[in-house]
Amino acid sequence: MIATRFMELRKRRGLMIALIVVNIGIPTIFLAVRLLAHAFAPKTYGPAGGYNIYTGLSSGVLYIFGFIVAATLGCTAGSVDLTEGMFRHLVVTGRSRLALYLARIPAGLSIIVSLVAVGFTIVCAVCVFAAPTQLNYDGVNVPAGLSRTGLESWAADHADSVICNFNINGPGPSNIGCGPNGTPVTGNGSGAPGQPTPVQLRTAAILIANQDYLDYSHQFLYPSNSLMVKTGLWIELEAAVGFLVGLGLGSLLGQRTVAVILMIVLEIVLTPLFSRARITHLLNVQRSIVGVAVAHLAPGGIPVLGGGGGGPGGGQGNPALIPESTTWSVCVIVAWLVIWTALGAWRMMTRDA
Amino acid sequence: MSTAALPDLAHSQAAESPWAVETHGLTKRFGDNVAVNGVELLVPRGCAFGYLGPNGAGKTTLIRVLLGLTHADAGTMSLLGYPVPKHRDVALARVGAIVDEPRFHGHLTGRQNLQVLAAAREPAARDRIGPSLERVGLSHRADDKVSKYSMGMRQRLGVAACLIGDPQLLVLDEPMNGLDPAGMQDMRDMIVSLKAEGRTVVLSSHLLDEVERTCDAVAIVDRGNVIRQGPIAELLAGSSVVLQVECSEPDRARALLGATRIGAHVEVGSLGLGITLPAGTEREITAEIARLLVAGGISLYRLQEMQTSLESWFLQVTSRLGGPD
Repeated sequence: MIATRFMELRKRRGLMIALIVVNIGIPTIFLAVRLLAHAFAPKTYGPAGGYNIYTGLSSGVLYIFGFIVAATLGCTAGSVDLTEGMFRHLVVTGRSRLALYLARIPAGLSIIVSLVAVGFTIVCAVCVFAAPTQLNYDGVNVPAGLSRTGLESWAADHADSVICNFNINGPGPSNIGCGPNGTPVTGNGSGAPGQPTPVQLRTAAILIANQDYLDYSHQFLYPSNSLMVKTGLWIELEAAVGFLVGLGLGSLLGQRTVAVILMIVLEIVLTPLFSRARITHLLNVQRSIVGVAVAHLAPGGIPVLGGGGGGPGGGQGNPALIPESTTWSVCVIVAWLVIWTALGAWRMMTRDA
Repeated sequence: MSTAALPDLAHSQAAESPWAVETHGLTKRFGDNVAVNGVELLVPRGCAFGYLGPNGAGKTTLIRVLLGLTHADAGTMSLLGYPVPKHRDVALARVGAIVDEPRFHGHLTGRQNLQVLAAAREPAARDRIGPSLERVGLSHRADDKVSKYSMGMRQRLGVAACLIGDPQLLVLDEPMNGLDPAGMQDMRDMIVSLKAEGRTVVLSSHLLDEVERTCDAVAIVDRGNVIRQGPIAELLAGSSVVLQVECSEPDRARALLGATRIGAHVEVGSLGLGITLPAGTEREITAEIARLLVAGGISLYRLQEMQTSLESWFLQVTSRLGGPD
């Protein structure tokens, strides 16, 4: 029965094309344009891949679109038998309604997991194989993977670029700044600017490099294998949640359109809102939203929910999100899956066919 | 759905039941509207049974209750001897049904739709897809999308969907809808052949002529109540007798018959006199009428006892048309 449910969903050509375009087509086209642009004008356009592109596509496109695609498929699987008149044929076979409902879960998940995996694999491949050879940090090409001492040493040798381009994260050099023509100058603004000595330049550059090291150490040429695996699992989790909640909601409402709209509102309106706005009296309610819980499970280095920058701890370390423990996140996700599956199954077992 | 899960006693009791469908006091309400009102229905095994009623009489609702598509508010029922809803899964595994117009996934082919349904039945159902399509005359279009099917083809596909379960009981709700004359003839032949194979066919319809041609027994339903049921021949035998008379002076003939104690209801129409005699009237009364007219000096050109059709009987007994009930 699972195989035929899979066939029934897969044969929905319009839906499948839409899902493929959103989940695979958009990142593929984006990366293809970047590859071509870099191939024809490498000085104007940077490499197509790399760590930053990876994090942007993973959290900004695949994570959100994966959920919406999965929710659309779930809502479809949960409602079309009813709206297309097949439900009564299936009920008349004598097969239990619960079995009919449960058969949709592996069928739909196999489609959605495959779609997300293909899209994510393309992103990973391009981001790794078309990654830059040098790290572009604050607009300056810097060797990747330097130690703190190494970065300071490199900064001392490229003092002009560091002083005029690197962000200053703390008390900066007291008597050196960047002149109007992009070269370091001395003076604090009260007198005429002068030419700094090499020692002053090296000292200032080392100071700035030291302050920027923490930020620099989170910049990579391309994502590590470990990060890609974790990110892939995290995106698949979000998609699976979208599918199962959509399936339950679609079955509960008995129609697709409203269910899809509600799921999109949940993902792109409610979740970002409640994950960031700290409403003291509603904090536990906010934590109980599944999107917020999944965001907290983001792997380290992945920014979530439309920006905010992922800390080394991922969602857990993201200061932009409301605080939530991993245990709570897992419990919330499991509860959502169980409750929506139960609601969808209950409605299917009790509704008139 | 495993039949092995049931005790042998339940199977043996089911097999011994002479009824394919049995309901007692079956009731279904929609708010204040009683769609099925204490229905007592007995459908013998192995017959073609017509379930007749005007639009809105509750035919489809009863079928939906029987098949578990909606729940009953009161009463008991059994299908093929299995009490439902207790053993609905076992009973329905032996039932095929079309309810309302047959609708399928339009983006799938006819064959694929049957594969979806066969997967919900026993494994052998998959092997019956081809023969079922062949039997309903849909093999040549089986791999076309259902969205391209005509209404009649969907009806045929609905019957094929019934047949893949190798059912002992088929419940067909208005199966002639959308069929052309040839299709109706095919459907009629199929119902007859299904009955010949020992299956029970319950045919819900408002096409009385079709039911009369194909069914052995009928039940008449009106306003949620079964008001008559039994073999067609027995039911018609209990209906009133109509004599059609052509004579020289119809008005005088009516006055003449009105003065007798025959108890006939006489009307003058364009074709002459229509004389309605009560059910159970002996044939000698017909001869008596002829003698009276001739003795009264009226020339008698034709006197014919009209065969009561299911349709005229149906009109007599259904309350909406002013019949005796």
